[in-house]
Amino acid sequence: MSEALLEVEDLRVGFAAGGLEVRAVDGVSFSVAPGNTLAIIGESGSGKTVSCRAIMGLLPSGANINGSARLRGTELIGLSDSEMRKHRGSDMAMVFQDPARSLNPTIRVGLQIAEAIRTHHTVSKREAQTQAVELLRLVRIPAAERRFHEYPHQLSGGMRQRVMIAMALACRPKLLIADEATTALDVTTQAQIMELLLDLQEELDMALIMISHDLGLAASYADEVIVMYAGKIVEQAPAAQLFGAGGAVRMRYTRALLDAIPHMERPAHAELPIVGGRPPDPTALPPGCSFAPRCHHAQDDCREKVPALAEHAPGHRWACWHPCENGGAA
Amino acid sequence: MALPIPEGSATTALPTLATAAPPPLPSLVSSRQLRMQRIGRSLRLWIPVSILGVIIFTAFIWPLVYTLPSPTNGNILDAGLPPFSPGHLLGTDPVGVDLFSYYVYGTQTSLEIAVGTTIIGMAIGCAIGVTAAFAGGWVDAVLSRVLDILIAFPALILVLVVSYALGPSKLHLTYALAFFSIPVFGRVARGATLVLRSSPFMTAARLSGTRNWRIIARHIMPNILPGIISFSLLGLGLVIIIEGAIDFLGQGIEPPQPSLGQAIAQGQTTMTATPEYVLMPSIGLLILVIALNMFGDALRERWGVQ
Amino acid sequence: MALVQQVQLQSGPPGAANRARRVAGSPAWRLVGRRLLAAIPVLWGVTLLTYAIMSTLPNTTAQAQLGLNATQAQVAALNHALGLDQPFWTRYWHWFVAVLHGNLGTSISNQSVNAELASKLPVTLVLLAYALVVAVVLAIIVAVLAARKPNGIADRISLAISMIGLSAAPYAFAFVLIIVFAVKLGWFPVISGSLGSTPMSYFKALTLPAASIGFGLFAIYTRILRADLVEQMQREDYIVTAKAKGVPPWRVLIRHALRNSMFTLITIIGLNLGALVGATAIIETIFSVPGIGQDLINGIQNHDFPLIEGIVLVFALLTVFGNLLADLMYAVLDPRIRYGTSNS
Repeated sequence: MSEALLEVEDLRVGFAAGGLEVRAVDGVSFSVAPGNTLAIIGESGSGKTVSCRAIMGLLPSGANINGSARLRGTELIGLSDSEMRKHRGSDMAMVFQDPARSLNPTIRVGLQIAEAIRTHHTVSKREAQTQAVELLRLVRIPAAERRFHEYPHQLSGGMRQRVMIAMALACRPKLLIADEATTALDVTTQAQIMELLLDLQEELDMALIMISHDLGLAASYADEVIVMYAGKIVEQAPAAQLFGAGGAVRMRYTRALLDAIPHMERPAHAELPIVGGRPPDPTALPPGCSFAPRCHHAQDDCREKVPALAEHAPGHRWACWHPCENGGAA
Repeated sequence: MALPIPEGSATTALPTLATAAPPPLPSLVSSRQLRMQRIGRSLRLWIPVSILGVIIFTAFIWPLVYTLPSPTNGNILDAGLPPFSPGHLLGTDPVGVDLFSYYVYGTQTSLEIAVGTTIIGMAIGCAIGVTAAFAGGWVDAVLSRVLDILIAFPALILVLVVSYALGPSKLHLTYALAFFSIPVFGRVARGATLVLRSSPFMTAARLSGTRNWRIIARHIMPNILPGIISFSLLGLGLVIIIEGAIDFLGQGIEPPQPSLGQAIAQGQTTMTATPEYVLMPSIGLLILVIALNMFGDALRERWGVQ
Repeated sequence: MALVQQVQLQSGPPGAANRARRVAGSPAWRLVGRRLLAAIPVLWGVTLLTYAIMSTLPNTTAQAQLGLNATQAQVAALNHALGLDQPFWTRYWHWFVAVLHGNLGTSISNQSVNAELASKLPVTLVLLAYALVVAVVLAIIVAVLAARKPNGIADRISLAISMIGLSAAPYAFAFVLIIVFAVKLGWFPVISGSLGSTPMSYFKALTLPAASIGFGLFAIYTRILRADLVEQMQREDYIVTAKAKGVPPWRVLIRHALRNSMFTLITIIGLNLGALVGATAIIETIFSVPGIGQDLINGIQNHDFPLIEGIVLVFALLTVFGNLLADLMYAVLDPRIRYGTSNS
């Protein structure tokens, strides 16, 4: 009987683009417990970003959103924009992928952080400034007072991302969504930012949703993992059940993703088992399992009927007619 | 804290426990939305096209079919007739010239000059612009500077002076106007070519040894042409306005040859008593230019040009 | 006028797409210096082009001075005395040096061109400024209202008005204004020949002329600004960030998007100065405003060479300086240029 912080049920999102309908998210359900880390993994176009933006209410006005998303019991889908704004930035916050483009180039970074504070709390400019500097220290930016007055282009990529995190944390949200937050950074900085996020999570008792295409990242940092493909969840389980000793990966797509990660132990010059082909065109989804065209193990029933996501093992859901045995590759 | 990722090998598939998914969801997007979008786009193209069609027909084809009264010689006895008088659709001006005929021939002149100017400007301007972008280096630098200087000029003033110098005539006016539309087309063409130049298919063409002029003819021109053409429609409207201004000042088409600018100038003299002599040509001019601008916009929308 | 808007957006300083990818270059002063240096050949080219075009005209100064009864020989003699039969480059050189010394010659009515300009130029400048300021302020207000809800009512109305403003000839529009506001309603004087002594009457007299010029400008600025704002609101990531913080929509539009659009606006203003100047000449004539525009038209009709030369030069220089100013403002206001990158 968990009191989930965020409960998403049957979320569906569609757009009209140039006369065609694009079904970006097709019946997604998950929940996030307070203080936990959920990783949503998928390729571009899998619907991972769109689902989270739908929850935050950040989709363009042409989007049609159905389903339910409850943050601490409050239904978010269908709220008016002015109601949503009370939650955005205060209860739940988001950090984006490219800090170079995500910060306004003509406003000093400190003021952008202060804006996050003053939007939700009535404080004086001076007070907001003090808090902003504190936040800069919290995200471990050296010389915080000086950095307050600088413009985004004067900071390095890693520092810009820290500023973004500081902005997101300004009102101590209970839920932080990190949308490919480390993708644009180099590996070392990536590790630093991840460590920072985890420490802050503990310090502020915050739940974290990590969106990424990197399964390795999920394995390292997440409590629970969701794998999405073509707008649907195809596998969902606690990380321990997927990775690690005794772990089992069932859905073929997840297995293929894992296999595509290069390992030191592989023989040199061995061909990398990539997942061939491309994600399906969202306006023309194939009948049956969306992954079937690219799956080495696809069989006739895979191409005819869509497999439902069902809990086949305790805590572990997958959607596959012919899943992997013992979590290994075929 | 990181969990190791298992390697392994599975053999056969598990007996399936999955059940078929529920049937697909009904469409989320209203088809009414889509239909409205498409209707709007069509209207934005076909309304200006129709208006232009009517104007062009009336200006060029109608006089061939139906003999209009002379636009230059009027019967003084018929002076000042109101619109819808018999034989004079829009009435006559204070010296008896039929207004409808005057406007028709004036529009003819404006359109002829505007099209001539735009064609010359487009041809020479594109040639210069594409060359500059293609050649690069100091050629580009010099040509760009020259274009900058010409564009920096207040064109109207100079067209005025040049026109005054050469003497009023349709041809001279066309040359003068073309002279100042060349640098603008040059800049646009240069910009468009520069954008193309860095694209992969261009590199491929150059690497495959295609000769320069072939690249220009088969790759560059077809790609920049949509942008240039829709831009030229905006330019047409502008040329018509400037040409009208020069006629208005009496330095362009020599009266009593008909021109819309002159019509406005003459209307000015009786503005307080009979405002319609000023308003009619002004509104006619407005409709013509709006139609051209809307057409240009609609084409840009269709062809997806920036 | 719409012509030039496209030109810069296709080949000039970066627009919306490049906003976040701008290279943070050298400190501001070096850039300012470079721009000034680059402007010098343009300025010189302008003087050359002006003189070259003017010299294609048959210079009738001598004829005008001597009157209709002069013989060929007398005209030729005066021509020689005035140095009008010398080769082009010699004449240009003399003229250029004179201009550099601030001497623009004497008009055929035997007044110093300088004096004439000095008395009339301020009026024209005030008229230009009046039209420009009103156009910009209104454009910003309308564009923001329109961008708030793209394809909403405010947006559609603003697009319709812009289309009319773009397509209306300033001289035709002037008459519409006169008929409605001066003749029928009597709010403003029909002729602005006498500007009156008080600032109030000054501005009243200049209002209709400024509106005639300003309407077209307003249309261009609104169209471009609105497009820029809408594109930012839909495409730029920092807008999404602002929304994610919970910032209310008006504030996002004004504090985030509008700030960045100002650069585009400045560029457009600079680009359209040539058209602005041209329209001013005609409007001054229609309203009898005692400025250099009207002087120019009169000068052309009187074949007053030195006057024409002087005024055309001033107009051309105004345009070039305006462009330069816009360039510099851009450089000064953009923090990426002002501060460059700091190593960290």
